[in-house]
Amino acid sequence: MRHIFSALNRYRFAVVIALLLTLTELAVELVQPLIMARIIDQGVVQQDMETVLFWGGVMLILSFAAFGAGIVNSFYAAHASQNTAYDLRNGLFAKVQSFSFANFSQFPTSSLMTRITNDVNQIQNTIFMSLRIMLRAPLLVAGSVIMAIVVNAQLALILVLTIPLLVVFLVYLMRKAGALFKQVQSRVDRVNSVVQENLTAIRMIKAFTRRSYETERFDGAADELRVKMMRTFRLIETTMPVILLVMNFSIIVVLWFGTTGVNTGGATIGEVVAIINYITRMSGALTVFSMIIMIFSRARASAERIGEVFEADVDLKEPGDPYDDALLFNGEIVFDNVHFRYPGTRQSVLNRLSFTVQSREQTAVLGATGAGKTSLFQLIPRLYDTDGGTVRIDGKDVSRMPLKSLRRQIGYVPQETMLFSGTIEENLRWGNEEADENEMIRALKDAQIYDTIASLKHGLQSTVGQRGVNLSGGQKQRLAIARALLRRPSILLLDDSTSALDAKTEQSLLQAIRKYSCTTIMITQKMSTTVRADNILLLDEGELVGKGSHSQLLRESDLYREIYASQHAVSEEEGVHE
Amino acid sequence: MNKWTEPFRYERIQLNQTWEDNDLQTETAPAKRAEDFRGTAKRIWQLLSERKMSLYLVILMVALSSFFSLAGPFVVGMSIDWFVEDGDVTNLIYALIVLAVIYLCHSLTVFLQHFWMIKIAQETVYHMRIQLFHHMQKLPIPFFDRRRHGELMSRLTNDMDNVSNMLNSSVIQIIQSVLTLAGVLTVMLYLSPLLTLVTLTIIPAMYVGMKWITKRTGKLFKAQQRHLGDMNGYLQETMSGQKVIKSFSQEDRVIAGFEERNVRLRLAAFWAQVISGFIPKLMNMLNNFSFAIIAGAGGLFVLYDMITIGVIVIFAEYARQFTRPLNDLANQFNTLLSAIAGAERVFNIIDEPDEVTEEADKKELVSLQGGVSFENVSFAYDNDEWILNRLSFQASPGETVAFVGPTGAGKTTIISLLSRFYSPTTGLIRFDGEDVTNFKRESVRNNIAFVLQDSYLFEGTIRENIRYGRLNATDAEIEEAAVKANAHSFIRRFPDGYQTRIDSEGGGISQGQKQLLSIARALLADPDILVLDEATSSIDTVTEIKIQQALNILMKGRTSFIIAHRLNTVRSADQILVLNEGEIVERGNHEQLLNKNGFYADLYASHLKEKSG
Repeated sequence: MRHIFSALNRYRFAVVIALLLTLTELAVELVQPLIMARIIDQGVVQQDMETVLFWGGVMLILSFAAFGAGIVNSFYAAHASQNTAYDLRNGLFAKVQSFSFANFSQFPTSSLMTRITNDVNQIQNTIFMSLRIMLRAPLLVAGSVIMAIVVNAQLALILVLTIPLLVVFLVYLMRKAGALFKQVQSRVDRVNSVVQENLTAIRMIKAFTRRSYETERFDGAADELRVKMMRTFRLIETTMPVILLVMNFSIIVVLWFGTTGVNTGGATIGEVVAIINYITRMSGALTVFSMIIMIFSRARASAERIGEVFEADVDLKEPGDPYDDALLFNGEIVFDNVHFRYPGTRQSVLNRLSFTVQSREQTAVLGATGAGKTSLFQLIPRLYDTDGGTVRIDGKDVSRMPLKSLRRQIGYVPQETMLFSGTIEENLRWGNEEADENEMIRALKDAQIYDTIASLKHGLQSTVGQRGVNLSGGQKQRLAIARALLRRPSILLLDDSTSALDAKTEQSLLQAIRKYSCTTIMITQKMSTTVRADNILLLDEGELVGKGSHSQLLRESDLYREIYASQHAVSEEEGVHE
Repeated sequence: MNKWTEPFRYERIQLNQTWEDNDLQTETAPAKRAEDFRGTAKRIWQLLSERKMSLYLVILMVALSSFFSLAGPFVVGMSIDWFVEDGDVTNLIYALIVLAVIYLCHSLTVFLQHFWMIKIAQETVYHMRIQLFHHMQKLPIPFFDRRRHGELMSRLTNDMDNVSNMLNSSVIQIIQSVLTLAGVLTVMLYLSPLLTLVTLTIIPAMYVGMKWITKRTGKLFKAQQRHLGDMNGYLQETMSGQKVIKSFSQEDRVIAGFEERNVRLRLAAFWAQVISGFIPKLMNMLNNFSFAIIAGAGGLFVLYDMITIGVIVIFAEYARQFTRPLNDLANQFNTLLSAIAGAERVFNIIDEPDEVTEEADKKELVSLQGGVSFENVSFAYDNDEWILNRLSFQASPGETVAFVGPTGAGKTTIISLLSRFYSPTTGLIRFDGEDVTNFKRESVRNNIAFVLQDSYLFEGTIRENIRYGRLNATDAEIEEAAVKANAHSFIRRFPDGYQTRIDSEGGGISQGQKQLLSIARALLADPDILVLDEATSSIDTVTEIKIQQALNILMKGRTSFIIAHRLNTVRSADQILVLNEGEIVERGNHEQLLNKNGFYADLYASHLKEKSG
């Protein structure tokens, strides 16, 4: 709630104007039965036509004024509510961008999407409605009570008794509905997450023809949503009949006391008519309450969900006492007794890992599947923090470097290639926004992908990503490498980025990278890569089990020899064939 | 003052601009498409009327409650008239008892109509939602390749949400309003035709006003939903690309990109809201007008003894009851418009031709000998360059065929054609000698097990993920497959073993481990044909050798297709097809190809040279 109000607060001027305009409309509406009573009592009963016409005219003018106020109110109310929503969305998105990966495990993508669009929409609607009818309804009720008292205090007594009762009922309902709506929204998340999975994995689902399995899964999620929705809405819809009943019975009471009062001279017939008119207006306004309750309790649930995102504790923060922002890396990387496990899991991935990578060297990281190679990489640009020990670059702890200046100097090519919707040029600019076309061509050439791109119909302007041209896995990989090279990084991290490349291309690529004279670490499975590397790190089950050059490891490490043999058994055998 | 004018300085939206659905423009025109407001509304109504009994009950309840809500004021007016004229207390008591019964019935019928309507509404929404999802499951791969996922998700949530909101409240309101309108009009005519005529003078003004408004809001709501979908697409993409964004510190850039979309959404939503917000204000004014007219004209009529005071009192109340349904209808218009805009987007997808229905009369492929042939197969994505060019080859049952070549040569495209994700632009694919297009796609896929390039794990346990290969597999069979795929040992190391949950971030599971699980999945499926597309690319070579043994056993007697960059994995293939730029440049087995001293021999030599360092 706090976040919603502070966002709304920025538009308090528009809010105040909108509310004042609503009050104007309201005033007109409240005065009308009074005028009506006057027309009947003084005009019609007294047979005074002038009075009838005069007050009739006053009513028309007031109506017109109220209309004008209403139109202007539309602008201010929409301005305040839309901008609050706009700010909330921007705020949420910015917050999500500061999330660590631990946060992303806590809030799945689909849930974040619902929160930023659907939940903010609920809030926006609520603010807009509040500035127009919601406030109007309670004020109309209060105003009607006051006016009724002014008209005839005795008759109005019944209202003073019933209204508090209804308020208690409504508050109770609102709390209950709020809790239910939170469950509804979490079911929406669930539906969303099944859909998201299905869209991402559609090829696999089709390949395994798991259509009925997936539809069952979805039907289950959709059915839960339906049941929760039904329960919630049914609860809310009890409001209206209850309010109607209570208010209508007040009319009976007023009629009884009122008409008997006419006889005894306590109330005029005009007064009775006016009070009944107020009561009908009130029950009209009160039935709006069932809508108000729905919108408000839904908004409350949404506000809480939005608040959860804003208040999420980002464990990976900018350092409190950072080093100088301007430092430029030489590129010496030191892991000092590093421990690591993924947040929320119990299994440790890296254990007492210590090694040094000299600046400007090419280092290969080798190890079995699940040995911790990728995890090791992610600690360098500080995508995750260590659980113990330090990672240092040029002798400086990465956790004390400003994130931007740390990451600015690192070119990281993740194992799973991710290109964004947009042109190739736009994708390259992710690496370096200021790059000119020559630099881009340079990077593409070095990544051994320029010829492919140049042969495309639109060249650099070809679209890629979720809706773009089809590039093969290897081509995407090289585009990702070009993107990293464009940064002219001091440290280049290649996570199995050459797996789809044939040996020739790989060789030219590594040759080209040498020119960048950056510290290069590459995860690889291929001996062909390790053989050329200045240095090799051999990992097994999260521990460093070997370090040195190819020939050194070949001498010293059993595991290395085993890996070597796994790739050479074939070639040696092949030698015989040739 | 700047603050005062701010709300009036929004950029005007061009209304004559057509709000075409960008995403669907590339499609060939679907057979029927929810084109307009009326068509869409009609389809929603059809869905609703599938629950006829409940719907009739609701209509009955609405009719009854409308009757009671009309009867109330009538009796009130009568009791005032009677009492003022007669002063008879027993008559009054009698009238009040009748009134009490009417009010009770009124509340009861109101309760019941909502009770049933919510059921209908939520069932209809559920139905629409699953219909959309079921349909999406049948849509061909090209459909998904052309759209952003977040945008599609938005249709299943944000758009459906609008429909749900509308059905919950609007249907009742509309029925009620129409009924009330008819009822009130009848009573008013009965009471005083003259005064009725006077009251009706507001109708033309109402019509003109509503027409002006809805002409604009219809388009604006559509624009709003489209921008919302666009934003959702952006959200989805930027969230799945977090690793790149973070490591390149591009947060500011995506925030700017988001703001751009946010501005567009705000603009469309602002105008939709402002203009649709005019409706209740207009109605309110006309409402007040009619009140004034009735008071003025009515007073005049009383003066000339044309009607009684009681009639004015009743009439004033009825006039209110007359404008209220109109008011309600007008208010519902907002929800209605945004719901119709949402429903239209949902129907648009449902109307896309799907790949299952269109082949309903095709044959089921029950089991395969395993003979597969490509005859002069060419493929290009729409109007683009050829990816595959007149490709022909034949795999006899039980053979292993390997595809080799530089990246971008078209290897994965062959797999896409084999799995019928895409269809050849020209040429024929035959399974056991018969044109594959004679079979249902799903029945073809049923006979093939795939290990695709991108291995994907679902949220769920490791066990569930392996079981995906064959849903009725026992736990023992799952573990057996895991052992063969060399995944068992690392699964055991997790504290929860096979029950380890995998979340969307996949934290703790490496890419290579994912591949091992995918292989286990395929081993479990036990298919007629096996397709391995870079199945072991992220797996270390020591493990790979161990898996290779399991795969060799699996491939024995089965037609298998393999794509691999590591040439040692393709050596034992019966046939090796060397691809370059979409064409087969060489074919033969390993020895034959080496002897040719061509492309393959080159590739292999560099491979060999690399290894020996």
